[in-house]
Amino acid sequence: MDQTQALENLTDVFRTVFDQPNLVLHDAMTAADVENWDSLNHIDLIVAVEKKFKIKFTTREVTGLKTVGDLAELTAKKVTATP
Amino acid sequence: MTFTSFKFLLFLPLMVGLYYVLPERCRVLFLLLASYGYVCAVSVRAALALAAATIFTSLAGKYVSHQQQRAYLAFLSAISLLTLWLCFFKAAAVLPLGSFGKLAAPLGLSYYTFKLMSYIIDVYWGKIAPARSFTQFAAAIAFFPQITAGPIQRPADFLAQVPPARTAIWLGLSRLVWGLAKKLIIADNLAPTVNYIFAHTHALHGTSLLTGFYLFPLQMYADFSALTDIALGLGLMFGIVGPKNFNRPFTATSISDFWRRWHMSLTNWLADYVFTPLRMATRSAGTAGLAFSITINMLAVGLWHGFTCGYFVFGALNAAYLVADALTIRQRAGFFKTRPNLNWLGNWAGQLLTLHLFFLAMVFFRARTVGDATWVLSHMWCGSGTLASASTLAAGGTTALLLGLTGYAILELAERYRPDLWWARIEPAVPAWTRWTVRCALGACIVSAFFLLTVRPGSQETSFLYQVF
Repeated sequence: MDQTQALENLTDVFRTVFDQPNLVLHDAMTAADVENWDSLNHIDLIVAVEKKFKIKFTTREVTGLKTVGDLAELTAKKVTATP
Repeated sequence: MTFTSFKFLLFLPLMVGLYYVLPERCRVLFLLLASYGYVCAVSVRAALALAAATIFTSLAGKYVSHQQQRAYLAFLSAISLLTLWLCFFKAAAVLPLGSFGKLAAPLGLSYYTFKLMSYIIDVYWGKIAPARSFTQFAAAIAFFPQITAGPIQRPADFLAQVPPARTAIWLGLSRLVWGLAKKLIIADNLAPTVNYIFAHTHALHGTSLLTGFYLFPLQMYADFSALTDIALGLGLMFGIVGPKNFNRPFTATSISDFWRRWHMSLTNWLADYVFTPLRMATRSAGTAGLAFSITINMLAVGLWHGFTCGYFVFGALNAAYLVADALTIRQRAGFFKTRPNLNWLGNWAGQLLTLHLFFLAMVFFRARTVGDATWVLSHMWCGSGTLASASTLAAGGTTALLLGLTGYAILELAERYRPDLWWARIEPAVPAWTRWTVRCALGACIVSAFFLLTVRPGSQETSFLYQVF
């Protein structure tokens, strides 16, 4: 899986978690660009991504994420590394 | 020496003047020396405590980054020692230590310890490399505009701006004057009435206590945000842009919205270094994990101010509000999504409820004891009369109270309509002579206000509410 495919798949997760059916993601997007994306529900998003892709993130990885592009890149890397 | 004192008025132009004539490469060293000079002027003991904690953290940061096998152990030891350092002084401030009695916490302890902790955690997580220059690192920790009461600027953010090349003296001075006006016109005029009410809670009833209930948060916001404005203004004058600390908190429509707008540098710090790691560790526990993480986080917010029952209850109440908010957010969003014509009502009711919930918690923050706080809350509905009883108004002076309230109304309007941003938008389009006339008038106003506010007849040094943490 590459970053672009990961971003496409992440769109569904974002739409469900933030209850915004028309949300369109792009790499440079940050929490400030998505309504209701704050520290309280950030981990809900992470848990949803982990379930969808059957991967696990560490705290260090999660705190290093700055943009949607970072999340897509990390997700793609983890999915590819998973046997 | 506080930022509103005459001594500081003499100290500042000298500092800014010297700073401007220095070559860029010497500026950080100058800031470090000036910061330690400022702390020494308050307390040499505080300067020694600051230096000891800074040297320890700098060495620990290097050790953590160079260790492969024992990095976790080194990181854990460093964080534990810094936490103990903070807790020792917090506990010593409320519990007598043998023949020493109670020890006052060194100046800026809570603020610089959090800066040091974030540095160690960021180095351990690999988000930043250890600071190459000890001078730069020490200047980031001791930076005098922020040492008294924040905002908590993480070392990485400060270090990215050094050596400071671009200074914004007018912007900084206008922010500083805005802060001085908030402090001296609003907070200091509301303070006598608030102090009187909370010093005589058991002798007062009804509207007097109700006045204290509503006035203290306004005083606190004017006072604390004033200190932030002064710190940010001073920072700009020395070429350092500090983090935002407030965003019109009393317009928040929910308690989670409120905590994104109040003391933002502290809540962002705790969100990154306490809430997120806790939430990650408890994510498999679902709602219970969320409630647990919120509770620990908000108790940390309360106890960061000091180890007293009042701060604990303040944290616990806010934890309960936030848990209730987080557990009902989907239902509330769903309700208003299907009834868009009721959105205005939801926002209005949400704002009113949030305001009162926070004001209620603030009674525990301000009252001398939890008993006093419960007395205020249980007796403020008993009795009637005018806005406040004559004795309460007389304690602070009716004129001072009215001046403070009028100032607060102007503050809210100014923050709502932001005339400074409006002027910045239209400034390029106006003729040059108008632009320069307005600039000169504004400049004269700012300089006059600065001198009028700091050299007041019969003025005394006034302390800020948040400088004791």
